[in-house]
Amino acid sequence: MILKTFFKESKEVWRDGRVRIAFAIVLSLLGIAIWISARQYQNINEQHQMAETTERAIWDNQGEKNPHSAAHYGTYAFKPKYPLSLVDQGVDKYVGTSIFLEAHKRNEAQFSAAADQTGLARFGDLTPDFILLFIVPLLIILLGYNSFTKEREMGTLTLLKSQGISSWKWVMGKWMALFFPIFVLSAILFLIAGFILSNLQDFGVFNWSSLFTMFWIYTGYYIIFINIVLFISTRVKKSGIALVLSLSVWILACLAAPKAASNIAETKYPYPTRQEFAANVLKDKQGGLDGHNPWSKESKLLEQKVLAEHGVDSIHKLPFNFDAYRMQKGEEHEAEIYFKHYNHLKEQFTRQSNVYRGLAVVSPYLPTRFLSMAIAHTDYATHWDFADAAENYRIATQKFLNDNFAENSSYGEWAYRADADFWKELPDFNYDPPELRTILTNNASSLWILGTWMVVSFSILLLTSKTI
Amino acid sequence: MISTNNLTKKFGDFTAVDNLSLSVNEGEILCLLGANGAGKSTTINMLLNFIPPSSGSATINGLDVVKNPIKTKEFITYIPENLMLYPSLTAMENLDYFSGIAGKKLTPTQLSNFLEEAGLQTNAFHKRISTFSKGMRQKVGIALALAKDTKVLLLDEPTSGLDPKAGNEFGELLQNLKNKGVAVLMATHDLFRAKEVATHIGIMKGGQLRQQFVADDISLSQLEKAYLDTMNVTEAMP
Amino acid sequence: MLRYNFIYELRLLLRSRWIQLLSLLLLVLFGFSTFNGEQKVQKRRSDIAAAKQEVQESDQAMIKLLDSVERGMEVSVPYWTIPTSPMAVGNYYPRVAAMEPQPMSFVSTGQADLFTHYMKPTVSGDDFTLNFTEMSSPVQLLFGSFDLAFVIVYLLPLLIIAFTYNVLSSEKEQGSLRLLASQPISIGKWVFQKLILRFFWLSVLATFSLLATIFLVGIGPFQWGAFLSLLALTLSYMLFWFALAFLVNLFVGSSAKNAVSLIGLWVLFVLLTPSVLNQLGSKLYPMPSRTLMINKMRERKAAATERQDEILDNFLRDHPEYAINDSTQTRSFYHRYMASQEVVKEELQPIVNEYEKQLQKQQTWSKQLQWISPAIVVQESLNQLAGTSTDDYENYRGQVMGFAEVWREHFMSFLYNNQNFSQADYPGLPQFHFEQRKDKSVLTVPILLLMTIVMLCCGLLASKSLKTGKVLS
Repeated sequence: MILKTFFKESKEVWRDGRVRIAFAIVLSLLGIAIWISARQYQNINEQHQMAETTERAIWDNQGEKNPHSAAHYGTYAFKPKYPLSLVDQGVDKYVGTSIFLEAHKRNEAQFSAAADQTGLARFGDLTPDFILLFIVPLLIILLGYNSFTKEREMGTLTLLKSQGISSWKWVMGKWMALFFPIFVLSAILFLIAGFILSNLQDFGVFNWSSLFTMFWIYTGYYIIFINIVLFISTRVKKSGIALVLSLSVWILACLAAPKAASNIAETKYPYPTRQEFAANVLKDKQGGLDGHNPWSKESKLLEQKVLAEHGVDSIHKLPFNFDAYRMQKGEEHEAEIYFKHYNHLKEQFTRQSNVYRGLAVVSPYLPTRFLSMAIAHTDYATHWDFADAAENYRIATQKFLNDNFAENSSYGEWAYRADADFWKELPDFNYDPPELRTILTNNASSLWILGTWMVVSFSILLLTSKTI
Repeated sequence: MISTNNLTKKFGDFTAVDNLSLSVNEGEILCLLGANGAGKSTTINMLLNFIPPSSGSATINGLDVVKNPIKTKEFITYIPENLMLYPSLTAMENLDYFSGIAGKKLTPTQLSNFLEEAGLQTNAFHKRISTFSKGMRQKVGIALALAKDTKVLLLDEPTSGLDPKAGNEFGELLQNLKNKGVAVLMATHDLFRAKEVATHIGIMKGGQLRQQFVADDISLSQLEKAYLDTMNVTEAMP
Repeated sequence: MLRYNFIYELRLLLRSRWIQLLSLLLLVLFGFSTFNGEQKVQKRRSDIAAAKQEVQESDQAMIKLLDSVERGMEVSVPYWTIPTSPMAVGNYYPRVAAMEPQPMSFVSTGQADLFTHYMKPTVSGDDFTLNFTEMSSPVQLLFGSFDLAFVIVYLLPLLIIAFTYNVLSSEKEQGSLRLLASQPISIGKWVFQKLILRFFWLSVLATFSLLATIFLVGIGPFQWGAFLSLLALTLSYMLFWFALAFLVNLFVGSSAKNAVSLIGLWVLFVLLTPSVLNQLGSKLYPMPSRTLMINKMRERKAAATERQDEILDNFLRDHPEYAINDSTQTRSFYHRYMASQEVVKEELQPIVNEYEKQLQKQQTWSKQLQWISPAIVVQESLNQLAGTSTDDYENYRGQVMGFAEVWREHFMSFLYNNQNFSQADYPGLPQFHFEQRKDKSVLTVPILLLMTIVMLCCGLLASKSLKTGKVLS
């Protein structure tokens, strides 16, 4: 029964010229999207590699210099692009790609692509994730909206009912007929993506299991849409109305809910403005130890403490350069201030994420979007992770420089110059994004929400099938 | 009033109407009998210019329907087999709307007079059409013919699905219109009703008008025999 | 026919509850989006006000400090922040260069969530690395904002599609078309009238819901002129979609096919065209890599630091006006630093200009091609109306850069004349005044209307040759 319905439906669907055209359109759009993204990806990676090597060369060839001057001169951490960003660009366009690492200051990533584009950029891009998240559900609606209503309209429903068929088997047949082409379509896409990725030069940390996980998440997303579309089709009398209703669900889930969520999240848990943030940090900094200010109260306190510790009565007698030591202490204090302020930001971000999760009740789009970005390493959390890693590297770099300064010079010796070769000893900045397992653990709630959506929508479809 | 001249309609290889020439004058009712696919409905559709003829011509009130698609419709009222009106509007409103877009501005009194003349119960005038039976809807159609002061009435299977009483009432309404000088062309399967209301009767087969009678010259049983004979003639395969 | 269509269309729409549903939907959508927009504008206002307030407070502190120093008293701040030094004033007491919201800013978030609305340029900062982006969650930027422009550009067409897709096909499907087609009317004209009437009622509803929400949310100051432009833009965009629906109704067929075709057109115009144009634009006029710019900047800076003294000498030779009253000939860190800053800035100008030029090119390109999709045109016009378009922020950026220059110049003569900053100099500090763009386009609505009228005429002309039989079968 299930199989018979499946074959009959598949035949019907395939014979419909519009369906074939729609399939062809979606496939070619996907092709274009993948091609564009692959080009972009290669391009950005080349730029990234070049910038990274040039920057390192600049750092290494500073020549003889005071380590603290070098600290002010600073260096850059560049955010790599990950292979799966080919499938989902996530928030990449809206976050900066490089972080300036200098003394006393934690900087944010700068130069987001969106800021360098026209207003058109805000409409979105023709990327695989756009097709996967927006267009394929539309295709599902197109294929399935009249699955049951057409039987009503042609009058075959009464005939079928009089055959004494079991309705859940009938529904399952139709379900499979809708699921199969979508499944094949996305499988082809992911295979192509995997193939391209494993053939790209220097593709970093691509692994097939991430790609497969992503594939299953999208499959789940489509199953939810299939359930909803079929459910509407069983409940409504006319095809036209079924279509309009299904589209309304699509609009609500994919367009309205994310935007509304973003507004609600922002109003409830706002970020400070950049100037405000800077001002707050400055205020905190002024109250604390400043490495450049030996006259402040905090400096005097530190001095007394250190003198007591070493049992000497003058900073000149210390076995290290107290200027550099103070500089390092100041650095540590400032790092703490930044940690506090960025933590506040992070808390706001976590609270905002909870708003998004809450609204996932009306939109299966939201958990899918977040999971997909997370696996592709293009989500906001990965960006935070990168920024934190860069900050840790910055702190380590400052310590590395201040230690050299402290050990190799004496108090007041600002004319000290470190060796020209010294800079090469600084380890490279290396950032490894979280592993798939960690990502899935961190996003467990999204997985649960998506799973619940699947189970609930499927049970509703099957349980109500008796009353068609 | 209605006339066709060698009217022909081909759908690909299939000839639906074949060199049909007929005419209906004022005060005449021509009933076209014939099996499904005999070409009755196609003829009516061509008179309404819903389908363009392959060759030949059709005129209403002397005007060619293809050349004057809108003008000729001023004279016509058409009641399809299953007359559908706007379900959320009342009988009065439907009548007002359709006569209105046909160019007749009528007062509510005039409208209710027409509905009354068409035999609709007074308490149904202000009820929504969604509650109406087929017979009641047809009465609104007749009221429309009256309201438009129509010269030509085209009916496609008007009595199918009507109960005998309603069929009878419908026949009486047609007589009324005939007496007003309306030319009526009616396609039907219903020999009995045709014999009762028609002034002229034609039997169609394969798109051709095979036989024609004046209704008063022929009894119901003779008509039935003629009809069956026409149907039973086996055609030579083309 | 129009009279009867007018009366009965309204009755039909009321009885099918379309009017009620649309009023409710429009009120909810307009209300929510206007509320969101207004909230953002309020936040922007209060942020700017707070920043200005802070500057005022720190100015008072500065005057107090100056007073103390001028009276020869000890002050308890680090010596390099004492405001008698012009560089201290220039760096630690910056002005707020704010971009105040415009009366219609609530209409469209545009680029407002991406860019900042106030800056405090300092004398020793690098103008070209001024970060104009706002600190906002990229997830928000990705999802965008539920603003009035979103409702108008994205959702209104969908409402129109739901409202119009079956004007003709439903007549066929419920069977009333045969009776209708037997009346002495042209079906094309009939559909046209029906759609124009629906357009009329939707316009009435949209106008009233818009007015109602604006007054309910309490937008002020309310400007009739700006409101009328918003309305004209909205209505002409709506008319465009009605014209499309007209063509689809005439030529496509069953309700479901119509709906699918119209949704396809919606996806094409609203989703696909803008994104493809954007990608093509950035492909044709690619932004040079910012990271490479950083590298160059750092190379130049390093080079400049090495020949600081030489640069300072050259600089003073080139700009004798700065040191005209200097009798001390004292040279400090800042003398050298500011001079080399100037040199680095001049050297980097061509590189920085490259970005501006590419952005301009992208902008021009997208302006030329925006007519491919009215959605782009309307979104862009709404952004312009709200003062949140790329152009507006470009303009603001330019003005801030200009102000930064003015601010620096102001302190340069103090610096090179080795002249102290005093209380008397305070009123002479440069202030920033934001100027709105003047070159706003007024042709959008007429062109949009013209496009629509052409489409409608094509439809009407074509409907003459439309076979009734084709409609009926």
